[in-house]
Amino acid sequence: MSIPLVPGLLRDHLRELSERDERVDGRGRLEGRPLEVEVNPIERAEGSARVRMGDTIVYAGVKFQIMTPYSDRPDQGGLMTSAEIRPIAGRNWEPGPPSEESIELGRVVDRGIRESGCIDVNKLCILPGEKAWQVIIDLHAISDDGNLFDAFALAAIVALRNATLPAERFDVGEDERLELSCTPIMCSYHKVGGRFVYDANGEEELGGDERIHITLGDDGHVHSLQKGLRGAFTSEEFNDIMGAARARREELMQLVESLEQD
Amino acid sequence: MGQSGDVGRLVVPGDSLGEIGERRAGHGVLRRNGELIVTRLGHLQEKAGELSVHPVHTTYTPRPGDLIVGYVEGMRSNIWFIDIGGPFNAILPMSLAAGKVDFGATREYMNVGSAVLCRVQEVDENHGAVVTMKGMGLRKLNSGFVDRVPPHLLSRVVGVEGIMLKSIKEASDCRMVVGQNGRIWIEGDASGTRLARSALSVIREAGHLPDIESRVRGILEA
Amino acid sequence: MGGYGDVQMLNEDGTRMDGRRPDELRKIEIEVGVVPVADGSARVQWGTNLAIAAVYGPMEAHPRKISRQDRCVLDVRYNMAPFSVTDRIRPGFNRRSREIGKVTANALESVVQLELYPRSKIRVEIEIMCAEAGTRCVGLTAASVALADAGIPMTDMVVSVASGKVNGVVILDLNKEEDNYGDADLPMGILPNSGELVFLQMDGDLSPEDFQEAWDYNMGAAKEIHEIMVAALAARYGGDD
Repeated sequence: MSIPLVPGLLRDHLRELSERDERVDGRGRLEGRPLEVEVNPIERAEGSARVRMGDTIVYAGVKFQIMTPYSDRPDQGGLMTSAEIRPIAGRNWEPGPPSEESIELGRVVDRGIRESGCIDVNKLCILPGEKAWQVIIDLHAISDDGNLFDAFALAAIVALRNATLPAERFDVGEDERLELSCTPIMCSYHKVGGRFVYDANGEEELGGDERIHITLGDDGHVHSLQKGLRGAFTSEEFNDIMGAARARREELMQLVESLEQD
Repeated sequence: MGQSGDVGRLVVPGDSLGEIGERRAGHGVLRRNGELIVTRLGHLQEKAGELSVHPVHTTYTPRPGDLIVGYVEGMRSNIWFIDIGGPFNAILPMSLAAGKVDFGATREYMNVGSAVLCRVQEVDENHGAVVTMKGMGLRKLNSGFVDRVPPHLLSRVVGVEGIMLKSIKEASDCRMVVGQNGRIWIEGDASGTRLARSALSVIREAGHLPDIESRVRGILEA
Repeated sequence: MGGYGDVQMLNEDGTRMDGRRPDELRKIEIEVGVVPVADGSARVQWGTNLAIAAVYGPMEAHPRKISRQDRCVLDVRYNMAPFSVTDRIRPGFNRRSREIGKVTANALESVVQLELYPRSKIRVEIEIMCAEAGTRCVGLTAASVALADAGIPMTDMVVSVASGKVNGVVILDLNKEEDNYGDADLPMGILPNSGELVFLQMDGDLSPEDFQEAWDYNMGAAKEIHEIMVAALAARYGGDD
């Protein structure tokens, strides 16, 4: 990613707004942008989702491959998450090998899903030592107006929950729905004008400081955390956004459940 | 800037406007094989025998004399590189700064990310552009906020004889300077700035629609 | 082209497996302005194909060594999303994508008035989100609409479509199965107003008569697709008002 120019006036403006408990687009501090989720828009993928949060638009696609299990875990399948921010997503995203930013994005989303244990890798085994399913989640951004993290994580979990194992195509049984034991959901908070806000837009990211990503599963369990970018925060600040994340996770969970397809 | 309200039908690149005859080719129109051909997506205009297109989208193209808002993108000992929001950057030599700047002190005067109200001094054939801060009101912008509206919609921001800009300023109680590169400087209190920005946002979204003026008034009077 | 002549791809009444007549296009839907952060963009749903194209610029040409003193550089990329096909594509360098990006750039360079923006760069990004057959045509068509949406000066739009041959019959706009089992494929990039060509490829085996028929199918279809492109632009920016 090329380094975008941060206009000095933007930072000052964001600070002034923050002092009045306002945001640049008029939202409340913990309010998300309008959210739109489309289930299985990609016919070729075994599960897919399109998520729009304000002017941020992303796709997630799930594909399955048959793998040979690793010798030290002969009865387990695999999971891989990969994010590639192609230059279509914005002026500052450049062609070439995945940037550090896209690698971080993919890994943070991956950890939330992996560590939640929502996919039981033992159930992905077809024939111990010989055949197992590998689940691959590809994250693809179309328009980056901030907070790709939450958009990707939401698209990934919706795509997984609506994915079908293509067993017939690989001649290893009948097609069946991928089973998920819980639903990890990420909520991200950016320090903007000296305080944390939920779901920062592109302008807030540009003129903001550090960010914190929290992935929560069922029953309040924490599955992954990541602090990114330059900046320091206090325990009080963290407790505040953790509380906010717990509340927001439940709202998003309701949305995810309402999208289930048969 | 084209005349507001004078919008005709939507034309698409490649559309033929028929034989040239007595007519002339203006902006977004080309002469080819005795015909006038549209080269840009937009609404057709005709003025004094000249056919032109009011485009639906433009990138700023600097012309000498333009008042613009630039951002400092880099510097050397005696020069700043200015992002002018166009297809190429401009330079601001130390000698054209608003006050006296010592050689090697460019960074102290204006650092990366500073906003500057300046004028385009010259643009050469190879798209090399020079901007200047010498002139009335030209300065480094130390306060306020810079918003953007695509250059082809600036006529909607300003309105006939400046009436729209005047209304936005009055309703929001903000100071505003409209840069011809589509960057608009706004200074006022937070609620005023928000109101002015909402008006600009409506113009960004719906500036191509004929009822844009009443839409903006709706925002200002709400 | 495989040339599996024994696989039956046509019904007895002369229609195709998906019910189309030999000279019938798949369903095409175009939407303009789908990438809010870009200067211009378009989504083309063409059968099961889904392409999204976005345009950025003209902007300062970085790195400086690619910039040209006499004209603008058109930087075109064609990419298939990993999940766009049945067997996942590994992201990264891909010769096929590079070649398609190049011929797409050459097609668009033939209409964009590059000399108006010396030292600048226009970025055209084509992402194939779901692929069926004919993605290069879908991508080029989407890019052309996105360029128009971005207000880039062009002497014409580019319409792209392919014809081919299965079971000895020339057909327009091959779907995936027809592409797999067909004998030939002739994709073209056509300027709808002048009838000139800016993109042409072909592989397979066509007799002179079949070649002419495939050519004529493409020319006829270009008009039809052009109408859909114009209607999509009008839907975004208003037709007559």
